[in-house]
Amino acid sequence: MNYIRSIYVGFCSFVFIGCSQVAPDVPYNGGSNVSDAPALSSQTVTIDENSIKSNSSGGSGLNSVNNPYNSSSDGFNSLYFDFGQYSIADNMESVLIHDVDVAKRSSGRIKIEGNCDEFGTDEYNYALGLKRAKVVKESLASQGVEYSRMVLISYGESSPVCTNMSDECYQRNRRVDLRLVR
Amino acid sequence: MKLVLLFLMSVWLFAVDATLHIEKDVEDRTHIAVVDASSVENEAILDIIMSDLKISGHFLLYPNVVKESFEGDISTPELRKQEYVLKYKYSEVGGAKLLIRVLKASNSKEVFKKRYDISSRAKAPFLIHKAIYDINGFLRYPDIGWINRYVIFSRYTTPRHSEIVVADYTFNYKKVIIRGGLNLFPKWADREQKSFYYTSFNGLYPTLYRLNLYTGAKAKIVSSEGMLVCSDVNFNSSKIIVTMASDGQPDIYELDTVTKEKRRVTKFNGIDVNGKYLDGGKSIVFVSNRLGYANLFKKSFTSSGVTQLVYHGKNNNSVDTYKDSIVYSSRESSNNFGKNRFNIYYMKSASSRARAITTTGTNQFPRFNSNGRVIEYIKYQNSKSYIGYSNIDTHQSMLFNLGIKKIQAIDW
Repeated sequence: MNYIRSIYVGFCSFVFIGCSQVAPDVPYNGGSNVSDAPALSSQTVTIDENSIKSNSSGGSGLNSVNNPYNSSSDGFNSLYFDFGQYSIADNMESVLIHDVDVAKRSSGRIKIEGNCDEFGTDEYNYALGLKRAKVVKESLASQGVEYSRMVLISYGESSPVCTNMSDECYQRNRRVDLRLVR
Repeated sequence: MKLVLLFLMSVWLFAVDATLHIEKDVEDRTHIAVVDASSVENEAILDIIMSDLKISGHFLLYPNVVKESFEGDISTPELRKQEYVLKYKYSEVGGAKLLIRVLKASNSKEVFKKRYDISSRAKAPFLIHKAIYDINGFLRYPDIGWINRYVIFSRYTTPRHSEIVVADYTFNYKKVIIRGGLNLFPKWADREQKSFYYTSFNGLYPTLYRLNLYTGAKAKIVSSEGMLVCSDVNFNSSKIIVTMASDGQPDIYELDTVTKEKRRVTKFNGIDVNGKYLDGGKSIVFVSNRLGYANLFKKSFTSSGVTQLVYHGKNNNSVDTYKDSIVYSSRESSNNFGKNRFNIYYMKSASSRARAITTTGTNQFPRFNSNGRVIEYIKYQNSKSYIGYSNIDTHQSMLFNLGIKKIQAIDW
């Protein structure tokens, strides 16, 4: 009978204990040890680029005094886009004609900056800004502005002209700015 | 009738499988209690200890934290029902110091003891992570080295200005690495996190640099008109996937980091971005507006065919991969402006079935950890932002307050 009981107890031990995590016993291991954690053992640098002059970027054009709804500079006007879109709307045609005229009367390189509202994420918003800048470049080129004079850059959502939570504000941020490269 | 019986048997079989799976997960975890023996207030430290133990997926935590002396046996009777008791003593004399003891709960036998010191108090979170990493390793659980790693992210400060910052995974530690100018899209350049890529927008053309985190050595990689982003780095850091713009057209390229040779991977008249290596580097997942909205597609390096990967959501524009696993964010509401519901989904490249990782709020920027078992994401909810973690195996999730209005890009 004792023999059967032993088997029963052994079986229960196997079922209820045998499968659980058993920690090994280790000897005392005193002393500090952080050398295998790079974040702890090494000092990281800090680079300050405030002193780096932004080269050839042109003026920021933000907060234009003459027209708060224009963040372009050097006589150019900004073009605005619908949500998620990168085609030039009909009501922007007159702005485009104006910018063609300014481009033809000026000399030097023209920087075309694509911008977005804050609702995109990550890379996609920068690509959207770039497509907006590209369509403006193509339109200017089709009306006689030399390709080689125009340089594209997308600032994604990094360059808002306003930060209010309103449709009007979001609309102002979905834009392409133009300025001369200095 | 036979069909009905077959259906019922199938349901029963799946139900049993699911139940067994859950029981197995719980059975494999260690019941542990935490004892705070510190003489100073250390709520933040305790939170990190509990978070590390929880997110590892290897421990079942006793819900109450007990105060006891550091030396000696376990004096609180109810703790003896646990498997282990972790006693810790934290102090900030001459930096940050942490003493750790792990005792067998049944007989107070000391099985692990260690001291951790660092001169920088700010790095105390890493001290905690290292201690829990060691305890996890001592108990022979699968590696959780990812909790020791840096998170790197960029954030806007003012229009056209940003910072690139490193943090521990809980964001209790934060340090600015690059301040000033417009520097965005940081991406770790190697597994060891010694260097990272980032794009500088401070010149006429966006320029990709690689910066050594410890020496400050900076190397120019490539410039591109329009836009330039390093989206992914291959397993041995020899190649990277970039989005760059040939003649203003955003497409995906693969760049050899040694020879600087590049090959075009996608060619599309719309938007192709966010390329991520998949299936051991044989193919990529990327975001494209081929169907008129942002969605995920897959493409092999050796063929021109493109396959749609996701068939739900109104805007799927953020993705990450680990081997054959994919995680992405999907917009599930239709507001052009303001609040939208974005959720994180997990799937395998060979399957079209996706599992929801989040169910509430606006969840974006999903990223895998270094072993692909934990997903990190940014959650915006009730005007606050959090960094969230979800363990794929145990389904445990946790959130930490970011204290930052908006993240521009993040890598882990």
